[in-house]
Amino acid sequence: MLMEKSLVENGFIIDLSNIQNTSQLVFELSSIMEHPEVKGKNICLKLGSLDLKQSQLLSIKALVESMNASLALIDTISEQTQASAVSLGIMTETISTDINPDFVPQAKEEIEYKKESVVEKSESIATSTGYNEENKTIEVHADIELPADPIETAEGIEDIYDEMSTEEVSEVIPSENYETNTFDSLAASEGLLPTEEVSKYILLDTGNVLPEGISENSVSTGTLPTLYLNQTLRSGQTVNFEGNILIIGDAHPGSEIVAGGDITVWGILGGIAHAGCNGNITSKVRALKLNAIQLRIAGLYARRNDTLNVPYVQKSDEFTPEEALIEDGKIVIYKKLRRD
Amino acid sequence: MTGRVIVITSGKGGVGKTTTSANIGTALAKSGHKVVLIDTDLGLRNLDLLLGLENRIVYTIVDVIEERCKLKQALVKDKKNPNLQLLAAAQTRDKTAVNADQLKEICDTLKEENDFVLVDCPAGIEQGFQNAVAGASEAVVVTTPEMSAIRDADRIIGLLNTKEEITSVKLLLNRVRPNLIKSNEMMSVDDVVGILEIPLVGIIPEDTGIITSTNKGEPIVNDENALAGKAYRNVAERILGEEVPFLDLDEPKGIMAKIKNAIAKLKVKV
Ligand SMILES: Nc1ncnc2c1ncn2[C@@H]1O[C@H](COP(=O)(O)OP(=O)(O)OP(=O)(O)O)[C@@H](O)[C@H]1O
Ligand SMILES: [Mg+2]
Repeated sequence: MLMEKSLVENGFIIDLSNIQNTSQLVFELSSIMEHPEVKGKNICLKLGSLDLKQSQLLSIKALVESMNASLALIDTISEQTQASAVSLGIMTETISTDINPDFVPQAKEEIEYKKESVVEKSESIATSTGYNEENKTIEVHADIELPADPIETAEGIEDIYDEMSTEEVSEVIPSENYETNTFDSLAASEGLLPTEEVSKYILLDTGNVLPEGISENSVSTGTLPTLYLNQTLRSGQTVNFEGNILIIGDAHPGSEIVAGGDITVWGILGGIAHAGCNGNITSKVRALKLNAIQLRIAGLYARRNDTLNVPYVQKSDEFTPEEALIEDGKIVIYKKLRRD
Repeated sequence: MTGRVIVITSGKGGVGKTTTSANIGTALAKSGHKVVLIDTDLGLRNLDLLLGLENRIVYTIVDVIEERCKLKQALVKDKKNPNLQLLAAAQTRDKTAVNADQLKEICDTLKEENDFVLVDCPAGIEQGFQNAVAGASEAVVVTTPEMSAIRDADRIIGLLNTKEEITSVKLLLNRVRPNLIKSNEMMSVDDVVGILEIPLVGIIPEDTGIITSTNKGEPIVNDENALAGKAYRNVAERILGEEVPFLDLDEPKGIMAKIKNAIAKLKVKV
């Protein structure tokens, strides 16, 4: 799958032309990018017939750059991907096909893309990533000049999920004032309720938890840049980013993810996740397995219900992707159906 | 009201400081005293887990010190007993985020409104230890009947003796296994007290129930039947100044053994 190439100087070809969806692409690419030989290389990406929106390609580019490489060239037979690449100023060219001779790309039956999604070349994209070993804090400041059209970076991984099911699996019920909670009413909120449907998360009364000077906003998180991380977050590690955060891996209990926009954990989310930390109430937290010890969205904080039986060892083959968001002043969790 | 500030320390890691803090704190609160537990093990906090309070922590001691919240806001009430409150350590920071003066100030403030402030100390003799000890006037030194743990306890007792503010240093011997003592494979309680030469406040048996209680987030003192739970309740009573005899840990279980034991005692008397 990997091959040196002289087509581009210091180039490195990654052939992922057999991949048919974005999520798999991100997954494969991020594991390949971990390879030490890829560092500092100009990546030539062979993509086959996969359609990538400009926003999705931008995310791929960011992923490559976050691994200290650059995305130099794209080989695609998809018109949409081609257009996206052009608009992002990425070279497109056919890479000689002797890399994968057996591969016969299947033409997509209906190429459906809207002309207006082709935006002009974006001016500049600069992402700087700093990893502070000592405090185990990853802080990232992205300075991204966005293209004229709103991009939906966070939607780039939509392939993971099917349509959002309208079934509301659980709802955070606001508890009474936490400070003044009496023993009894606290016990009642602990799930000793007669109903079988126990809330998965229970809202904490944290008062005005938004820092002073920060007010609620509902900027679409799709307009924010996204940070990709391909690693397991361990206890004590934190990630802070002003935009969206996508983690390919698990976030262990004791870790903390704080994002200005959405948080997506492609794995088991067990730590604290704070989406929309700057007051963005449209932010969401998604995970293949949503077991966060605390969920925080904008100024709402919710704790996992004590009665929720989370196994000590979590198996990764029982994923039921879920998404948490604010609805009517509450944190509501939607179950996402698995694609089979 | 001026409460008592007691630091739970050991020198050696993993001997049961956190388990002891959680259990003594819970027992004292159950007997009607207002208790605050402070976790000073920054970056390796555990006390919240043992109490099953992890999901309630919004602010930590570092947030208090760095003035992101008021002290009251950072106190997490226990699920069962509102007399018991926890001031959690920050998981994402290290020992250098706090200094001794700041911890002393927090202890001084808390003792105004509580009967007991128990400080769970990190392992070691460095800054974490110095911080934890800063506000305390009493210490419980936890050790196990192992040479290495005892050596470290000895070191800690020496350090505690140099601190004028600390007026009482007591010993808690954890993970005692009577059958090993009997077969001479483990140091006896007397051996340990003989080496360390400080008054004993508790003897806690090795109890597998501690592991399950840790995993459940429910201190073992809440289990009426557990021997270790009973031992910890006794420690709390001794701290409250009551004279409680130490548990007879090797009380035989079967009826025949009991009779044999009674006969043996009779023989001794004769
Ligand atoms: N009496 C006991 N019987 C059985 N297991 C015990 C007993 N006391 C403590 N343990 C176990 O020993 C381990 C260490 O206990 P604990 O975390 O309380 O020690 P610690 O001194 O606080 O450790 P650290 O130095 O890392 O803070 C835990 O796994 C606990 O379950
Ligand atoms: Mg400990």
